[in-house]
Amino acid sequence: MSHWIDLLAGALGQGLLLCLEITLIVWPLMIGYELAKAYGIFERPWPGVGPLLARLGLSPGALVPLLAGLFLGLLYGAAILLAMSREQGLSARERLALGVFLVTCHAVVEDTAIFALLGGSSFWMLAPRVVLAVALTAWLARRPQASARAGSAGPR
Amino acid sequence: MNDTTPLAPPWRGALSASYARGRAFVWFLLKNILPLYLATEVLKASGALGYISGFLAPVMNWWGLPPEAAAVLTAGMLVNLYAAAAVAAPLGLTSAQVSVLGLILGIAHSLVVEGVVVRELSSRWRALTFLRLGLGLGAGWALARVLGGAAS
Repeated sequence: MSHWIDLLAGALGQGLLLCLEITLIVWPLMIGYELAKAYGIFERPWPGVGPLLARLGLSPGALVPLLAGLFLGLLYGAAILLAMSREQGLSARERLALGVFLVTCHAVVEDTAIFALLGGSSFWMLAPRVVLAVALTAWLARRPQASARAGSAGPR
Repeated sequence: MNDTTPLAPPWRGALSASYARGRAFVWFLLKNILPLYLATEVLKASGALGYISGFLAPVMNWWGLPPEAAAVLTAGMLVNLYAAAAVAAPLGLTSAQVSVLGLILGIAHSLVVEGVVVRELSSRWRALTFLRLGLGLGAGWALARVLGGAAS
């Protein structure tokens, strides 16, 4: 019986420690994001990214939704992601490209940090996601017939 | 934005907003991680986890993972990465095994909740969700080979 109490107490302590460690990583990220937003970083046009985005089949208007998903994640970035992709009038094809990129690679800091805390290699958990996301999106942008299929209206 | 104090510096609003978000996040973590962490520890110590996941051993071996890691994948794909971490932490996995799990789940996690966001973004959300599953499991399989964690 006491063996089980020891076990639960130990697990409780370990679980609290894990919560604390995650908090110490994610909270600064939230502060950084709120500060960046307050100073209008996301509203400023960024020079030089247009050609890079074009290779992924995206227009400059897709930059902010892309950054929101990449750093905040689909869930926390959803508000910006969805609002901006509507405001910027992204085509169905662009939204698919954005979707392909972001489902493969999003919340890069947070997701990587959680498993790095448990002893995983940050490089091997992050690099393949970025490479796959860029490669898949660039490949999709070069496929001519993809536009016709992506253009079909969805349940919106 | 309805700013009632136009003279307040922007950082002040940013700090109070991130304080509120951070506090909500801590509650979210405590409610999500602690119960799963305790449950995993109990299931592991009682031998139930080993028994349930025993039949998955040959499958999990493709990724160089112990059978118990199936519970980590399930928690990550259906709930979120924090749940997966809570389940994975007590299992005593090697660095290579955590990396493989981290890569699979980094690509394919929270499929239900994030599926809702993806659905708003693109009409082809089902294809995108299957893409995540396939890419995640495929990339994890390749990484297991690279890191030499696989038994075969």
